[in-house]
Amino acid sequence: MKSKRYWVPVVLVVVGLLVAACGSANKDAATAAIKAAEDSWNAVKAEVVKYIPDQAKSVDDTIKAAKESFDKGNFDGALEAAKVIPDRVKALVSAAAAKKAELAKAWEELSGGLPNMLEALKSRLDILSQSRKLPANLDKAKLEDAKGGHEAAVRMWEEAKAAFSGGNLTDALAKGKTVKEKAAEVMTALGMQVPAAAAPAPAPAPAPAPKG
Amino acid sequence: MADEGKKGAGAWDATQWHVVAKGETLSKISQKYYGDPNLYGKIFEANKDVLKNPDLIKVGQKLRIP
Repeated sequence: MKSKRYWVPVVLVVVGLLVAACGSANKDAATAAIKAAEDSWNAVKAEVVKYIPDQAKSVDDTIKAAKESFDKGNFDGALEAAKVIPDRVKALVSAAAAKKAELAKAWEELSGGLPNMLEALKSRLDILSQSRKLPANLDKAKLEDAKGGHEAAVRMWEEAKAAFSGGNLTDALAKGKTVKEKAAEVMTALGMQVPAAAAPAPAPAPAPAPKG
Repeated sequence: MADEGKKGAGAWDATQWHVVAKGETLSKISQKYYGDPNLYGKIFEANKDVLKNPDLIKVGQKLRIP
């Protein structure tokens, strides 16, 4: 009996050391997983945020949650949260690349077509400026408006091209879309045919009036 | 793919066209689009590949209107 009593504290100390070692191992694993997650994310974050900002936020949130679990001593929870992040980052990198390709294609279309519209407008405005009398659908005020609209569209197109050169495809496309709408509006005001690719989408048909 | 490319480019074609109707002259077309018959030369210049003489245009002919 005496010898048994002697072993009890020893066993307790050993168990305590094992638990502490285990906890430390979990802490180390969680620390490493969070670091790996942050490293993989930080390497690509800027590019992903540029193209799919909404989805990028979910990674930030997951890393934040992993860190909060870690700070509360929940190393298993922190590890679980952090270890899935590198795979998610890989998926987002693919999604961002796909979005970038989609935007680049849209830009290619715009940059191939918009200069034609602006050039056609310039040509018509130059000739109308030389006209002694304007056509039936146009007066001097409308012509001046059209000139102003064309100048604004040309300026914004330059800005769009600068945004594209600066690597900001999203901004370039947004500006390009505005130029397209403006150019179509001015062409319509001058009685010109708007290219099919720039024609405004038809308004939805009105709901039929109730009978009776 | 090449056809798709051509379709895409065509959708952006901003060239303005006019199909000549019976009784029309370049002056009348100029009056219609520019309000001034004296600017017919602009249309003639833009269509020199199909017009040799500004007084000779044919019904159904497709002309560019710059």
